[in-house]
Amino acid sequence: MAHNRVIQWGAMARTWWLYDAKFQCPYRSAEKLCMYLEGRHKPLYHPLSDVGDHVVVINTRYVAMAEDLWRKQQYKHDTRYAGGKSSATAWRLHEADYTKILYKAVYSAAPKNLLRPTIMRRLHLYPEEDVPDDIIGNVSDVIRQIQVVPKPLDSYSAQEIEEFPKLFDWPEDHVIYKRKATTEKKEES
Amino acid sequence: MLNVNMGSNVIPSTFLRNVMKNGIGRHVCQLQRVTLSLCKWSPGSAPAREFVEQDMVDFTRQNPGIVFYLKPRRHRSPVLKAEYLNGYTEEIDLTKLSREEINHWLGLLKGRSGQQIVRLRKDFHTDTPSIQGVWNPFLFKDTELSIKDVRDPSLSEYISPFKSATEKLLELKKKSGAS
Repeated sequence: MAHNRVIQWGAMARTWWLYDAKFQCPYRSAEKLCMYLEGRHKPLYHPLSDVGDHVVVINTRYVAMAEDLWRKQQYKHDTRYAGGKSSATAWRLHEADYTKILYKAVYSAAPKNLLRPTIMRRLHLYPEEDVPDDIIGNVSDVIRQIQVVPKPLDSYSAQEIEEFPKLFDWPEDHVIYKRKATTEKKEES
Repeated sequence: MLNVNMGSNVIPSTFLRNVMKNGIGRHVCQLQRVTLSLCKWSPGSAPAREFVEQDMVDFTRQNPGIVFYLKPRRHRSPVLKAEYLNGYTEEIDLTKLSREEINHWLGLLKGRSGQQIVRLRKDFHTDTPSIQGVWNPFLFKDTELSIKDVRDPSLSEYISPFKSATEKLLELKKKSGAS
């Protein structure tokens, strides 16, 4: 067939995916992202072939951890010098670099072979929503999130709160704690 | 022929390639030249000497297209070297082989195409190629992707198989409000 080489270009083309990490578990997200980075979602997948796709992840700053993992999860580092061992909690690592938590999660979820550095180079992490035009221009499909993004009480309008069905009335002497609106929310609204 | 330096006992590996003009035209024997080097004295070359005395002349009469060389080499083990039309050469060590086995090897070399024997890394094959065509990443993609912005939250939002308590409450309210 005269178009065989063009058919092959089409079959082997790398697609770019977008993933919104807002309020998503980084470890379970990493497992899902690795499927696309390794190319396991393709019918032509083979573990020895480099057929993975690119994944662009936005909002890595707003990843959500289960329970108190932000305080309890330890990220260890060793410089291989005497006394070079150190460890940081997840929240400290996150403060230093907002993309580091997800990077490390994907790194450990990726296959432990020589294909891993190549796979990691196809992962593009951005702490906020803004992505360079030359990157977002390649994106042709979206990876669906893995858990519900919670809607904070501040985002409901006063009317919506008023109209929400009441199951019971609070006693008159009951004190309801009202969370103060953060400064960021004020800037947005 | 592969341009890979490998040990003599290793079968090189490649991917399947198409041999052009395969099976078109008349049969041309690809084996062009055979060189048998043997020792005139040592017992290791005795079967090779037997072959020269009894079978070699018959072989050359039957195959006038193949040049047969004899190289006497003192105190060396007998070796059969075959040279093909495409430039490929293959050497076969005849140590400890009987006269009959030498005949078998020669017959095998005569029938070969001159293509090196390789191990296929991927041996996927089908006798019934797909009529629909080869898969590509845009096959069965939802067409709404081409008109929607990739940032649209409806594309990335998680779809839960269950209803939340809030949704159930609101539904109940809608029902009671309507009635």
